[in-house]
Amino acid sequence: MAKIEFRNVVKRFGAVEVIPDMNLVIEDGEFVALLGPSGCGKSTSLFMLAGIYLPSGGELLFDGHIVNEVEARDRNVGIVFQSYALYPHMSVRDNILFPLRFKKTPRDEALAKVKTAADLVRVAELLDRRPSELSGGQQQRVALARALVKEPQLLLLDEPLSNLDASLRLSMRTEIKSLHAQLGVTTVLVTHDQIEATTMADRIICMRAGRIEQVGTPDDLYLKPSSLFVAGFIGSPPINLIAGEAEAGTITVNGARFPVEGASGALTVGLRAEHLRIGDTGFAGRIVQIEPMGREILYVVETGMGAVRVLEQGSSAVHSTGEQVKIGFLPENSLVFETARQKLIGGAHVRAPA
Amino acid sequence: MAAQAIPELSTAASEPPVDWDAVAARARGVRRAKAVVLYAFLIAVSLPIILPYFWLVTIAFSARTGVAETAVLWRSMAVVVPAVVAFWLTAALAQSRRQLWIGLTAVAAIAIFAFAVLVGPDLHLGNFIFLWEPDFASVVRSRIGEVKGAVQFPNVWHAFGNSILIAGTQTAIVVTVASLAAYYLSRFQFPGRSSMLRSLLVLHAFPVLTLIVPMFLMLYWIGLLDTLSGVILVLVAFELPFAIFIMKGFFDAVPWDIEMSALTDGASRRQAFVSVVLPQVRNGILAIAVFTFIRGWEEYIFVFTFLIRNSNWTMSLYMYWVRDDVMGVDYGVVSAVGVFYLVPSLILYMAAQRYLMQMSIGGVKG
Repeated sequence: MAKIEFRNVVKRFGAVEVIPDMNLVIEDGEFVALLGPSGCGKSTSLFMLAGIYLPSGGELLFDGHIVNEVEARDRNVGIVFQSYALYPHMSVRDNILFPLRFKKTPRDEALAKVKTAADLVRVAELLDRRPSELSGGQQQRVALARALVKEPQLLLLDEPLSNLDASLRLSMRTEIKSLHAQLGVTTVLVTHDQIEATTMADRIICMRAGRIEQVGTPDDLYLKPSSLFVAGFIGSPPINLIAGEAEAGTITVNGARFPVEGASGALTVGLRAEHLRIGDTGFAGRIVQIEPMGREILYVVETGMGAVRVLEQGSSAVHSTGEQVKIGFLPENSLVFETARQKLIGGAHVRAPA
Repeated sequence: MAAQAIPELSTAASEPPVDWDAVAARARGVRRAKAVVLYAFLIAVSLPIILPYFWLVTIAFSARTGVAETAVLWRSMAVVVPAVVAFWLTAALAQSRRQLWIGLTAVAAIAIFAFAVLVGPDLHLGNFIFLWEPDFASVVRSRIGEVKGAVQFPNVWHAFGNSILIAGTQTAIVVTVASLAAYYLSRFQFPGRSSMLRSLLVLHAFPVLTLIVPMFLMLYWIGLLDTLSGVILVLVAFELPFAIFIMKGFFDAVPWDIEMSALTDGASRRQAFVSVVLPQVRNGILAIAVFTFIRGWEEYIFVFTFLIRNSNWTMSLYMYWVRDDVMGVDYGVVSAVGVFYLVPSLILYMAAQRYLMQMSIGGVKG
């Protein structure tokens, strides 16, 4: 187990600076997710942790020791790749055994460990097969067993679920989380899927263009996104963003007037779909589309400020397409961002027009 | 919509009923005709390829001293040509696997029987005298009362050994160097990488004969003229570019992930290469090994130019001198040497055929 620390870590590929300055502490035994769109530097950070890429500057610490120049093979890190990266010419047993070959573990002990790891991820009956004879989910489990068999101080998961089908993804999510609870190994998950990150991780590190945008619990990121980027990235359906100019305590957008507290100037208002209510008060609009989602119904409402998404509880639609409605919300659920700096203005709220 | 659909249906019903059996019979007839034409073409093309080899083998095992016995050839052809045609036809007409096997076995049995009756009495091993009689040239010539040995032949096994040595050493060097070089070209960025890849192909474009004189001089100055190692070096130099190019394609197809995975699993770069990457390119290595070996085995121009002493003769030189010395005297011996020369490449090809089929040349990615 290890506590991981990035101190002013820089990574360049030639002239391209992928990570300009990264500072981050991951506590011993924590499960964190690096979340961001593709190309944001999350996989680069992961490969630096694994020792495959060397940092171009700054310090990377495991348990307080600088490991910048420690070779990948000496770091005792387990990694599961997106493609699983099983060795195609070896049986499942030899795949799981592979990391122990280099640890000079005695044969009997190594086989016992392989058995334990295989039991842990329930692939014990597949040990004599070749990777090509396994399904995607089974390959995934074998890759996990191979990463865990050496009892790593750090487990890295690079988009581990993206090649699985939807139902398998759901069950693997639960399984990986319970594995972490059972073993307590420090785990870093890299993903572009916000659901994976919010469901599995204790803490989420949201990244954008090589910089850390926000670090926090899934709740923090959802309820108090520090920037427009995080607000837009997290949440499904996506947050409604309404840009306008505030003057004398009122934002005016295309005729709709929102009273605002605690901010002025060019502002962007963020309203989550499930915080909006169709009712008697609020801003006006016309329902153009209805998307039933099971327990909820998503209404797409055309308003003066563009299309707004409203999520209502219930399994059958109360309203119909073409209906003129008013949309209201509670002021404490509104998020106000400064449009120029894209940052959240803490304590600022807007009210629905009466 | 429904109102429009009804008249369409009624017009379809008023057309004369389709005679499905006639349609199926016509399609079957066309398919048969196409198959017959195809097989006729394949037979016409394959006979000229099969016959020379067949004649070579027949002459080697049947010819008697001095005379070109065409009678045996005609009789053997009378067996082989119908047999080939019958094989193709059986393959074309068989309705099931079982019928195919029964048909092929029957054709083979009849062909073997006819061959045994018509050609069998003429077969003998006398032409392979060179395998046990080093001075066979004198024996062959003395049969018709000519002077003794104009050319001193080395033991054929000595030439065989030289050929194996040249082809084997060349193969070992080419496989080792090409694997390492191709891996580096595939995995590492360095200045001049793409121009190097391009020049690899250009190197292969030159006709080797143009370089014979300069290479002769170079070998002479280095002191490797008339040595096997000199020839091996020259052959390696000519074979390497193509082998590297093919191996690079194989290495490109190995995903980075499994190599990275091996590194984090505790392997060094070298261990990862040996235990994880090399097994993925096994087919490529086998393919270039077979091609390089056969290239070395059949090599003629360089050995003819750079090797002088008869103790350095390879099989191709041996073949050349046998032809030169006893041709016009004994076709049988020449053919027998040819068969003996042919056998190792044939065995190698058959053993490695499965892997050679998988070889494809990857595109250059700079």
